[in-house]
Amino acid sequence: MLGHYGWRVLKSPIFARVLFPFTMLALWLVSLDTIEKIWPFAIDVLPTPGEVGRFMWNELITETLARRNLYETFWISLRRLLTGFVIAMVVGTIIGLIMGLFRAANAFFHDWTMVLLAMPALAWALFNSLIFGFGDKGPIITVILAGIPFVIVNVREGVRNTPRELFDMARSYQVPRLKTTRHVLFPSLMPFMFAAARYCFSIGWKGLVIAEVFGGQDGAGWTIKFWYDAHRAHGVVGYAAFFVIFAILFERAVFEPISKRTFRWRPNLAGAEIVEEVFDEENTLEDFASVPSSEMIDDNE
Amino acid sequence: MATVTKNETQPTRVTEEELAKRARRKERFQTWFWRLLSYVVVLAIWEYCSGRVLEEALLPGPIRVVETFFDIWDKGKIPSAFQATLTRIGVGFGLSFFIGAFVGILMQSKWWAGFFKDAVLISLAAPGLIWVLITAIIFGNRAIGPTIAIILTTFALVTVNVSEGIKAIPKDLLGMSRAFHIGVVKRNRHIVIPHLAPYLFTGLRFGFSIAWKVTVLTEVFSSSKGIGFEMRISSQLFQMDEFLTWILLFFFFALFLEKVVLEAIEKRYFRWRQAVTAS
Amino acid sequence: MAEIKIRNLHKEFGIGEDKVVALDDVNLEISGHVFVSIVGPSGCGKSTLLNILSGIETPTSGVVEMTSEGHEAAPGYVFQAARLLPWRTVRDNLLFVQDDRSEASKKRCQRYLDMVQLGDKGEKFPGELSGGMQQRVGIARAFSIEPDVLFMDEPFSHLDAITARSLRRELHHMWVETRKTVVFVTHDVGEAVELSNRILVFAKGGRLEDDIEIDLPFPRDPADEEVAVAKARVLRKFEELDLLAT
Repeated sequence: MLGHYGWRVLKSPIFARVLFPFTMLALWLVSLDTIEKIWPFAIDVLPTPGEVGRFMWNELITETLARRNLYETFWISLRRLLTGFVIAMVVGTIIGLIMGLFRAANAFFHDWTMVLLAMPALAWALFNSLIFGFGDKGPIITVILAGIPFVIVNVREGVRNTPRELFDMARSYQVPRLKTTRHVLFPSLMPFMFAAARYCFSIGWKGLVIAEVFGGQDGAGWTIKFWYDAHRAHGVVGYAAFFVIFAILFERAVFEPISKRTFRWRPNLAGAEIVEEVFDEENTLEDFASVPSSEMIDDNE
Repeated sequence: MATVTKNETQPTRVTEEELAKRARRKERFQTWFWRLLSYVVVLAIWEYCSGRVLEEALLPGPIRVVETFFDIWDKGKIPSAFQATLTRIGVGFGLSFFIGAFVGILMQSKWWAGFFKDAVLISLAAPGLIWVLITAIIFGNRAIGPTIAIILTTFALVTVNVSEGIKAIPKDLLGMSRAFHIGVVKRNRHIVIPHLAPYLFTGLRFGFSIAWKVTVLTEVFSSSKGIGFEMRISSQLFQMDEFLTWILLFFFFALFLEKVVLEAIEKRYFRWRQAVTAS
Repeated sequence: MAEIKIRNLHKEFGIGEDKVVALDDVNLEISGHVFVSIVGPSGCGKSTLLNILSGIETPTSGVVEMTSEGHEAAPGYVFQAARLLPWRTVRDNLLFVQDDRSEASKKRCQRYLDMVQLGDKGEKFPGELSGGMQQRVGIARAFSIEPDVLFMDEPFSHLDAITARSLRRELHHMWVETRKTVVFVTHDVGEAVELSNRILVFAKGGRLEDDIEIDLPFPRDPADEEVAVAKARVLRKFEELDLLAT
């Protein structure tokens, strides 16, 4: 009935990928039905896909009950995120550099970097909201505190991983120091700086949202809390969807193109898809986050 | 060695060794010095900020925190709160681990990999907060809410590690076991499981690290006991000293579990593996 | 062309019980348009000698003099692994080691790229080239600074036999054309016999054991009988030394 071609389509992974959201949608509709009939006390409120869809559509055409519309809201949040991001990158890079270059600095900052890595953004968010009240400062500082340890760790690894053979080669050709720094040191640090930026941004975003939930009067985090307080489940789900779309969009539209351009010279990155990269990144991240015990060994060399 | 010709060189060699030993000792001392100094500096800054930069009520100093700790310990709040939170983490993450591992195994097939690809992507990209809010609004105070939030936030990490682990099983070892006609059970026991163990462990470690943070977050929104709940109450009542004490308490406990316990297990059992990651 | 004089060169690593003698009282002189090979088993100090000559390491004691027509000789270096900057194009890799980026320098670089048959690959990245091609870029780079003496550390050891063979021929032509002093380290006796006028045999422990002249006419075909005889002679020398060492 399906024919040879039809069968091949069904078996392809692309079809599977497309099937997934439909499956979720189907499950959603089914559970709406069954929970109402069989188990009405299992939940407080379950929005329907229709409600969520309508809500999201309205938001997109800037018809909203919240104080500000979707685009303004995300812009406010993005502004805060970028401010915190830049500060975290600058300060984190400096600390990472001196930690990689100087043993004493490494010993000094090491434990606290680990503390910052493990501290939940929630703690910073609550804390900053109580200290700074409403406004930009609380969220921005939360972004900085959440993101800076990732920058430090990645930059430090970059300094440690400088390709010694290439420096030797430059030395044997008597290439002047400045030229070597420009053509060997900086490019070799680039992948690490890039990883630092990617993590800082991603973690910063997650921290920012929490900070806005607890201590703001605007921004994406505050707005989703607004819908939550207003008991509008479709608002919460809809805004959550916007969050995810925003994160993925940014990754695709900003980091990926920059990555492709800057790392043109890498032989096999051409076809890397975002999930694979995220896979690899989560793991390299955790690599760095799991540093302490191996550090101990380093210190005693 | 009674060789006359080498007499002159011998003292120099010994001194060189001594120099090297002394240099190493000096380095070790330096490391510990700077490390301890950092604690002194941080505590000093904290104490200073507490009185001068921000009011005592807003930012309690380290001494105040220690006092508060004994305060709430005496009131018996700590064990019950810890128990509530830890149970939630245990159940939630336990489920998440199995679901994550199962999906990871499924994703070895290209079709299932395509199917779950976006699920994993979303789980990794979405801030945990949104799952917390969604489950809180749908399930209210019910226990299932936090559980689902934990699963949604952490299963992807386990899936990724398991998937990478399976992909990385050394095919040559499997081929070897086939050539020697080794049965499936024996093969799994000696090749597959020891190979996968570090990956599972990594997934466990990092999944747990996220799980406890999400759990506390859910408790802040939607529960009547547990550490997150205590934090919410004390922050609403503007009892900063209690708030700080609770967060530091749980933070150090989680740190203890993560670094001391899990890392110790990792080092002992997985010494043979240099890089215990899925990369 | 250059003149290299080495007197009582001694190099040690480590201290006390872990001390390793890499070069043991080496004396030798190299000058003019010669191709000198340094052969020996692993641990005989050949790479260390090269590192000292190119300035990467310093001797424990002894004198090393490298001059060319009165001034200090400028060395060029080809490594075992190409050591190209992966993030720069082939052309930029050559420009990196030049004194400036003038038109003259750029023309010079292009000329040497043409000499190694890679003239059209200037805009490619090292990652896009095969191992053999990368090594050729390394060779072009070394020649492009027009050094007085060229040091090569087992440059073909990582390549397959066929690529290595064609690269040897290319190197020989470049040596003839540019009239350089070449000091070539290798563990492959056949390669040494095919390319050099003179073979220095080092033994384990860093001692210069023998200095063999190969007086056959160029170009040499490894399949040639006389070349094979010369190779056998050197190999026999190797065996004698091995027996002495144990």
